[in-house]
Amino acid sequence: MTDAEKKMKRYVTAVERRLNLPREVRARVMSDFSSSIAARREAGQSDEEIYAEFGAPSKAAADLNEQMKEFTYRKSPWRFGFAALAVWGGLTLLRLLIPQLMYWGFRLSALFRPEASSIGIIGGADGPTTIFVTSPVSMLIGLYILLPLLAVIVGLWGFFRLRKCRRK
Amino acid sequence: MDDRFAQQLKKGVLDMLVLELICSAPRYGYELLTLLKNQSDGMFSLKEGTLYPILYRLEDEGLIHSAWSQGAGRSAPKKIYEATPEGILESQRRLAVWQQFQETTNRILLGGTET
Repeated sequence: MTDAEKKMKRYVTAVERRLNLPREVRARVMSDFSSSIAARREAGQSDEEIYAEFGAPSKAAADLNEQMKEFTYRKSPWRFGFAALAVWGGLTLLRLLIPQLMYWGFRLSALFRPEASSIGIIGGADGPTTIFVTSPVSMLIGLYILLPLLAVIVGLWGFFRLRKCRRK
Repeated sequence: MDDRFAQQLKKGVLDMLVLELICSAPRYGYELLTLLKNQSDGMFSLKEGTLYPILYRLEDEGLIHSAWSQGAGRSAPKKIYEATPEGILESQRRLAVWQQFQETTNRILLGGTET
């Protein structure tokens, strides 16, 4: 790469860094901007003429920012609904899971206490009864967990999708 | 061309002109700028930043599409814009609207001087 090439590359990068546009729009603008520079060179313009016409990187970027206003993105107000859904789902999940975690934490810690081994035995003896009693309940719990989980997924998806609503 | 009236007129006309120029042949962005500038005696001399929103609007509406073209020799690849079949139809429609607009406007203006 020649010095002139390096200088031009630095210039283009400096302009790109100052663009205040969403990533996709910025990539689009930069592909056209680079094409324009290539076309100007082919048309016989010197690099100095090109720099002079676009101005300093800050000026070139400010011009592009100003003209591309309609392509900045607006965030849809609906995304708050999705955010609320995600938060509700998250909180419900936590409320459901914390007692479970605490319960299993307690069971585990009990296992490592020798003096508590009798509890384990009693629990073990009761096993079949417990399974019989809890199986319809656990299916219900499964649904309870699935619903908030779905809410979290849908909520997050909607929230991030609606951040990219094009201003018309 | 700084006042609001001229700007608003220019906005609609430029959309039509850019689409029509791309319909007549695939064009590079810089080519469009020079064509507009030279053929209008500088009246439609745009900056890159003014042209891009027009191109992106047309592209998002499916009237044109862009491709990378590798120039001859070791020249850098450039983005070229081509019209889609819908774009060609739309351009014809816009030209017809322009024709009608211009005729009607002139008729009213000339009629005004006669009476």
